[in-house]
Amino acid sequence: MAAAGRAAMLDAQMSLVVDHLSKRFGSVTALDDLAFEVPLGQVFGFLGANGAGKTTTMRIALGVLEPDAGRVTWRGTESHRLPRSTWGYLPEERGLYPRMRVLDQLVFFAGLQGVPTGRAKREAMAWLRRFRAEDLAERRAEQLSKGNQQKVQFIAATLHDPQVLLMDEPFTGLDPVNVMLLREAFLELRDRGRTVVFSTHQMEVAEALCESVAIVDRGRMVVGGSLRDVRRATGRRMVRIAVEGDHRLPWLASLPGTRVIQAGMDRSTVELDVGVEPDEVLAAAVGAGARVRHFEVADPSLEQIFLDFVGHPADEEAHLVPETPSPREEDAA
Amino acid sequence: MTHESPTGRGSSGRNVALVARREYAERVRSRAFVFSTLLMVGLAVVIALIPLAFRVVERATVTPIAVAAPDAELANRTIAILDAFLNASMDGSGDRHRPFTFELVGSPAAAVSAVGDARVAGAVLADRTAGGGLDFRVVTIGGLAQDKLQLLQLGTFSVGVLDWTAANPNTTNPFVPPTFAVVDAGAASAGGGGSAVDTAEYASRRIVGIVFVVLLFLTLVFYGMWVASGVVAEKASRVMELLISAATASQLVAGKILGIGLAGLTQVTLVLVPALAMMVVSGQLGNAMLGEDVTAATSLAGLSPGLVVAFLVYFILGFALYAAMYAGAGSLLSRAEDLQIIALPLSIPAIAGYLPAVLALSGSNAPIIRFASYVPLWSPFVMMARLSIGRVEPWELVLSLGLLLLTVPLVTLLAIRVYRAGVLLYGQPPTVRTFVRAVRGG
Repeated sequence: MAAAGRAAMLDAQMSLVVDHLSKRFGSVTALDDLAFEVPLGQVFGFLGANGAGKTTTMRIALGVLEPDAGRVTWRGTESHRLPRSTWGYLPEERGLYPRMRVLDQLVFFAGLQGVPTGRAKREAMAWLRRFRAEDLAERRAEQLSKGNQQKVQFIAATLHDPQVLLMDEPFTGLDPVNVMLLREAFLELRDRGRTVVFSTHQMEVAEALCESVAIVDRGRMVVGGSLRDVRRATGRRMVRIAVEGDHRLPWLASLPGTRVIQAGMDRSTVELDVGVEPDEVLAAAVGAGARVRHFEVADPSLEQIFLDFVGHPADEEAHLVPETPSPREEDAA
Repeated sequence: MTHESPTGRGSSGRNVALVARREYAERVRSRAFVFSTLLMVGLAVVIALIPLAFRVVERATVTPIAVAAPDAELANRTIAILDAFLNASMDGSGDRHRPFTFELVGSPAAAVSAVGDARVAGAVLADRTAGGGLDFRVVTIGGLAQDKLQLLQLGTFSVGVLDWTAANPNTTNPFVPPTFAVVDAGAASAGGGGSAVDTAEYASRRIVGIVFVVLLFLTLVFYGMWVASGVVAEKASRVMELLISAATASQLVAGKILGIGLAGLTQVTLVLVPALAMMVVSGQLGNAMLGEDVTAATSLAGLSPGLVVAFLVYFILGFALYAAMYAGAGSLLSRAEDLQIIALPLSIPAIAGYLPAVLALSGSNAPIIRFASYVPLWSPFVMMARLSIGRVEPWELVLSLGLLLLTVPLVTLLAIRVYRAGVLLYGQPPTVRTFVRAVRGG
């Protein structure tokens, strides 16, 4: 037990710890004893609907907001004692100086984080090349598309090579090509030992990228940990099956404790109650004469887990308690 | 309140400089800056040329003077000398416009009557005193400007010298300087000898004071609004979110105030230097074209290096004070359209300081004016006005500057506190409640 305790303490010293944060804006509770840990050098998904408290948590980590209770630590040091250059922040609300040239902006923001001009220019150009956006360097921000502005902001957040990247909804508004480029960038940063935390309500993106996640709702932690643990936490078991013929799987009616939760021409997903084994589904299919083309024992998707725990889809607005806040408060939350 | 995360402690100054440099470059490269500077330079140069224009207009005018004396010899001598003195061509170029004409009248009463009928601009009444000297009284009803009265006084002094020389060929008797008095027939009051010179100096100091006070008022309010609009623009474009994560609120506020303050100082310099140069050039041009004028230099006579230094000090401290207030207030707004909400309330302290400054310039040194010159929000205007007029005790200046120096960091700290909370607030225009919450670090 003592060894386990020491290991836990060591973990906490080596990672980003959101330690029982609470924050109220007037009568609105934005964070309610929120606690989770982000392992060092991982891509971490911070999942929740709009208004769940993701932005507030990030702002507290950055030292821009002060919590009412709790703290955020990185490798054992409280966030407000860390140099700002520890963090790279991509805010949800995107913004650049409209009339300033892209390269000048990148050099300016890197300069604020202590990067010398020459190095900032070189690395900014390298990142622009990587994002297939070299030609943007001399253009003013107001001349860029939203997607390109977002890429520039990502570079601005990354150029000083921070230890932790806090990315608030980084994939929103990006086309599939740019989503792919950004995902590759995330993975490369992780491979370089950086810790990447990003918030999203797009569960499929989180599922594809994250090793660990935290699901928050109304400022409270719902479930968190490694993706595998989170999947198991639901206790749900599924199979995915593809058959020739009726994809609604009418023969399943003979097998109690099963139900089709997603019927598709390609494959259908069947949820199993506790006590029903996956091979019973396969046997029922064969017994009914169905020709099985694909069969797999599957974990529930993040989308399903989110629905199970939160009760509504992630792209639905969270309703903050106990009363509707004013627009100012709502925005801050 | 929120913490000021360390940025690498030594980097504070560098970040302030980076923010200031960006602000400065953005301002001075903007079209609004270029156009407003050109417009102000044009206006300032035109204003600087006004004294020359006055001299040109005045050159074409003729001032008739009636002369009365108890004896014909004195009357003729007075006319001859005043004519030679007042209509002299200073550069010896010969035929010139004669600005004065002299008319001999039979009695002082006739001369005064001519003034009353506006047939002449003034009357010179010469008389002999019991001590052997001469007494001159100039009667006018506002028809003679100070510079002309000054010339008349110098002219009558020459009359006195020649009269004394003629009456004392052996120069055994001591010279008795002539007495000189101005009688305003309208106000029926007489001014003392030598007052004309003081009045001219005083007028110059007033002009310089007005220029400084108006310039301070306009620049503090105008450049203060630059600061507020800069903060609002950063919020409206949402670049603030990136900024506030990269630099602390105090670095951002200090950098913005410094950068915009330097841009403002650049504009003031760009406007003042050509204007002052034009005043000097136009004075010389006037002398070359119109001849030497002993009174022409007085427009700049009230401008001393000490006043210029005082202006710079009060501009810098006053701007820091007002800019901090504008930065704090601007941080509570979300859209450029909302700037009008703060424009009037923030200009009220400046207006409240401008009014006693105008009173101080008109010569008032009432306790309330003196008090206003110590109050930090008002002292840049009121003390500058009092310094221009020249009625300030050293301890008053120390008190005024000391209070201002103490207030600037206090207000700046308060503004940073408001800014830190305000920049994250979006939505409806701010209320008093929002402000109080921001001050408390909400």
